[in-house]
Amino acid sequence: MLVGLAASRAKALVATERLLEIFGLLARHSHATPARGSLCSVAAEFTEFDGANIALLSGSKQLTALCSSNAASGALFELEITLGEGPTTDACGSDSVVRVAHLGGEEETRWLSYSPLALANGATSVYAFPITVGAVRLGALTLFRWESGDLSEEQESDAYLMASVVARAILDLQAGAPRGSIATQLEREAHFDFTVHQAAGMVAVQGSLNVSDALVALRAHSFASNQGLSELAARVVTRRIRYEARDGVWYEVYRSSE
Amino acid sequence: MARENVLVDTLVELADNLVDNFDVIDLLNLLCQRCVEALDVDAAGVMLSSPTGELQFIASSSESMRVLELFQIQADEGPCVDCANTGQPVLSESLTAPDERWPRFTPRAIAQGFHSVHSLPMHLRGRTIGALNLFRVEAGVIADEGARMAQGLADVATIAILQHRSALDATTLNAQLSHALNSRIIIEQAKGMVAQTLNYDMDDAFAQLRKFARDHNQGITLVASMVVGREITVNSLVNPAAKGSAS
Repeated sequence: MLVGLAASRAKALVATERLLEIFGLLARHSHATPARGSLCSVAAEFTEFDGANIALLSGSKQLTALCSSNAASGALFELEITLGEGPTTDACGSDSVVRVAHLGGEEETRWLSYSPLALANGATSVYAFPITVGAVRLGALTLFRWESGDLSEEQESDAYLMASVVARAILDLQAGAPRGSIATQLEREAHFDFTVHQAAGMVAVQGSLNVSDALVALRAHSFASNQGLSELAARVVTRRIRYEARDGVWYEVYRSSE
Repeated sequence: MARENVLVDTLVELADNLVDNFDVIDLLNLLCQRCVEALDVDAAGVMLSSPTGELQFIASSSESMRVLELFQIQADEGPCVDCANTGQPVLSESLTAPDERWPRFTPRAIAQGFHSVHSLPMHLRGRTIGALNLFRVEAGVIADEGARMAQGLADVATIAILQHRSALDATTLNAQLSHALNSRIIIEQAKGMVAQTLNYDMDDAFAQLRKFARDHNQGITLVASMVVGREITVNSLVNPAAKGSAS
């Protein structure tokens, strides 16, 4: 009886401590400058991972990055978007946790294109947790590590807790926004990058394509030319590269100034 | 339960509560129990302000606590009422010490065996939504770590309510957010098409889309989606007479 009481007391203490830890980190990060991406920074710090990415699902099942805790995590998410496969996509699609302790290991055949490239980008293990509230799916929290290793039970429950706080935070930030728009507070928290979509619009005109085919062309070229999707998009938008309709070829544009 | 992990247990409890028959009262009753287990207090209770400002008794760890909370609301007097009304923590280290704040509440609390009380405000987006009230049989204050923990539990209670509210409109909010993301994507794509066709920069492209939308009393998302779907040409945005052929 006494042991039971002591155990439940200890449990309550740990749970509360962990939530307090998240609140404390969020408070500290939101006071720091720049405040953007604090949810991702807190997620990485709290779960003791090397990198974190939060992606949102939009109506058309597209994934959009809300934020990344560092450039490497952002690049890994972009890789996933370029290839159309990876942990975030799976976590969102299956509504279940994706756990890959050894990327590119012998037993890992989950993602034939993503795994070797993610490994080449420095990730050795990856875990993705769906961000949900009840039956509503918002996206996924993806955690990366640069050294392979299993997820401890504490880390797993911390990640669940973090995903749950992220879900609440996103909905809370979006609450009260006018119809059809993203809340200013959410934009302030996010690192949204819509350059890829601007570039798709431009390529659609250049190649007489519809925008979804233009997106496919951008992804294919990003992969073939070994440059990040947003890097390529930025070059399209600044008119340093264009897509030719006639023969479907990309041309580098050399200009001294604009 | 096979798994020992506290957080998983707590979350499963929270998640289970959220899915089908989520009951905020059950959740707050659970939190009151947790307060008693985790803190050096003998009873805990939660009061919430209704949107019209009336206080409501929501949850408590014991019957004597419930009676005292209800009394405070009826008499409109007591530490919990003060805390919920002012948004500030209210403390009484010793209810038997001379204190004129709550002439009717104090003797009743003592009669129930309590000698000190802490009331902690629950804040949500700058508004006080209620109070977490902690009663002790002994006189004295809750020590530092306990006080921090207590405010943490008040925050958890707030989150629980937020979860409840989110659970109610998560579907709507999420639909709205994903719709907003979609419109944003379509607008950016249309900007790219305008920028390419007219050799504009992105800001000018956006200005052109917005101007056309305003001039024609249409939403910008609709105009953007018509451009992206090539239902209107980019040239017709500048010169409405050129509406005919696709770009």
